Amino acid sequence: MTEAIKLKAKDYKSEVKPIWCPGCGHFSVLNAITKAMAGLGIDKDNTVLVSGIGCSSRLPAYVDSYGFHGVHGRGLAIAQGLKVARPDLTVLALGGDGDGFSIGGNHFIHACRRNVNITYIAMDNEVYGMTKGQASPTTPMDWDHSKLTPHGPGVRPFKPAALALASGAPWIARGYSGNPNQIAKLIAQAVAHPGFSFLHVMSQCITFCPEQTDWKAIVTEREEPALTSADEAAKLFLHEDGFQTGLLYREQRASWPPERDRAADQNALAGLAASFRV
Amino acid sequence: MSMDDKDPNTELANFLAHSLELESEAQQRYGELAESMASHRNQPVADFFRRMATEAEHHQQEVSELAAGMTLPSLKAWEFEWPEAEAPETSSYEALHYRMSLVEAMQLALANERAAEQYYRGFATATDDVPTIAAATRFADEERGHAAELERLIAALPEQGTHHREEDDEPHMPE
Repeated sequence: MTEAIKLKAKDYKSEVKPIWCPGCGHFSVLNAITKAMAGLGIDKDNTVLVSGIGCSSRLPAYVDSYGFHGVHGRGLAIAQGLKVARPDLTVLALGGDGDGFSIGGNHFIHACRRNVNITYIAMDNEVYGMTKGQASPTTPMDWDHSKLTPHGPGVRPFKPAALALASGAPWIARGYSGNPNQIAKLIAQAVAHPGFSFLHVMSQCITFCPEQTDWKAIVTEREEPALTSADEAAKLFLHEDGFQTGLLYREQRASWPPERDRAADQNALAGLAASFRV
Repeated sequence: MSMDDKDPNTELANFLAHSLELESEAQQRYGELAESMASHRNQPVADFFRRMATEAEHHQQEVSELAAGMTLPSLKAWEFEWPEAEAPETSSYEALHYRMSLVEAMQLALANERAAEQYYRGFATATDDVPTIAAATRFADEERGHAAELERLIAALPEQGTHHREEDDEPHMPE
């Protein structure tokens, strides 16, 4: 018997080179994902990364595993369907703030509610970068860097963690692209969580939001253990500045589909497969 | 593994594991930056980062040779203990921009070399383990040498303005 070769983070990167802008926070998330995969010893052949559309959604191409670059805002729908059909796989859904909270907003809240055992990593740079810098659902209301919103969008930004909590997400964490090792640890924890895990990553876009280089000074690492009370978490998420990082909230809740349906689905799938045999 | 554990049997192994990770991270980050800058047509900076990646790879090989035959602790990426969020010689993403000048890239690398020197120097002073002191001092001196070389190169370059970060490729607007 040969001993299994321990893969390093770089072994999980594909031959495709990222075309993100130098300094983009998504590089950090890519590195964190491969570090987490190496740390967990994840089998590349049983891992799928699913994304929507946008700068961050290019990420599956850069990882040496299975990937699906889906339709705008629909990464979560594809990822959940895949996990239900193939519960043996490790499934990560990826996207940005526009993809996840605007175009795919409905899929986001229902993914939180449904609690399928996948990990969703939302890379939030508060801007539509791929289309050259328009306001997104998380853009500050006075951000006036775009000619489309010369006086700022004028509407309050989403609070993704609060939205996730209100929608029923049982595992909520936040990372910052300036700390890829922390993100890697959070991804490892998220994958280990037996249910839907939402990792919100503040991932700077230095090209269209150069002021985000200041994030480094305001990001803090939350020292306290993860909250387990939804009431306390709601207070935190509604009143914090959005820059506290770490595992913020966790509850134990049975994931979907229920065990009885899984068995029935597997029997149905087996029957379907048998019907195709000649 | 904590640096407070002063077991001489494991301290050198712990130090070398950290050194290997430090140089590996530096090599990969510089390589990543070189590719990224090349794809954004900033060839002088891309070439410089490629050279730095090669330098880090050489240093990584040197550490590997020193660690040959030893069993190093197997640490996950988030289990290494660094003074900052990332390993000291790793370029921070937010310091980068596709328009950065060669001087700015060199200054960034200089800051990395100084951080690495400080890290190694700190490791040497925090231990009583003689082999660890010797290795850490040697690495610190090498980083000091790299920094001096970069200082010389920067001084020899003609004055270059700093880039501006604002995007001036305006979107097409309807008339």
